[in-house]
Amino acid sequence: MIKRFFPMSVHLAVTLVWMVVALYLIFLYAPQEMTMGEVQRIFYVHAPSGWTAGTAYFLVFLGSIAYLWKRSPLADDLALASGEVGFVFCSTVLVTGPLWAKPAWGIWWTWDARLTLTFVLWLLFVAYLMLRSFVSNPGRAAVLAAVVGIIGFVDVPIDYMAIRWWRTQHPQPVIAGDAGSGLDPRMFLTFMVSVGALHCLFAYLVRQRMALARSQRELSALRRARALEASEG
Amino acid sequence: MNTYLFLAYTLFWLIFMAYAWNLGRRQARLQKELEELQRQFHQASSGDSPIA
Repeated sequence: MIKRFFPMSVHLAVTLVWMVVALYLIFLYAPQEMTMGEVQRIFYVHAPSGWTAGTAYFLVFLGSIAYLWKRSPLADDLALASGEVGFVFCSTVLVTGPLWAKPAWGIWWTWDARLTLTFVLWLLFVAYLMLRSFVSNPGRAAVLAAVVGIIGFVDVPIDYMAIRWWRTQHPQPVIAGDAGSGLDPRMFLTFMVSVGALHCLFAYLVRQRMALARSQRELSALRRARALEASEG
Repeated sequence: MNTYLFLAYTLFWLIFMAYAWNLGRRQARLQKELEELQRQFHQASSGDSPIA
């Protein structure tokens, strides 16, 4: 149904336009931060990627529950696609983070709560995808992956709250943080547009990946039918 | 432009381009395989020569 009302080509066009608008705001509209200078603009791609990775794991969690409950292949496809695309977003968080940390803190990495939990999230994505590819029985792989998808979700809220609960090297939240935190309205607008653009990109890639999973299922069904026909013939 | 800023945005886009390229390649390979199998299936069911 989504395909009819929001075709892939339109989705791609909307994503590209949204990304261009986000880039315009990031480099030409948002004011320069006073202490860090230009390098602070990494924030507009780093933090929204983190939010998108969190959304991705939430969808893995929901898809996994739905799959274990209803055994719906669509739910399994959603979980798998979100896991794979979420892994890509989580990887960009781990790449852009150190590139911002080095000029801002003087170090590439430190094992504080936020950074460690984000790294754990990335490892969970890796474990989820490895399980999908190394267990040969597809039904068993889907069940085992769903269990990892549900248990692993516990990392997401702790990762989100880490900078609120503990004193970390990572900055305290500037959005939904304590009184006194916050962003310049132009920075806030730029940030929210980036969050939207990356979620739109995420949704597009998930749809593409789900189409691929559907084709893989069709192919397996055809192979089985052909093998059956050959054995009968 | 600041080197770290340049690197962060360049790597960000490279990662996504690599993933999109990989996804497209997998989709094309699967589509080809699917079409071939469907063609063989139709051939076999219509009584033509069996699949090689």
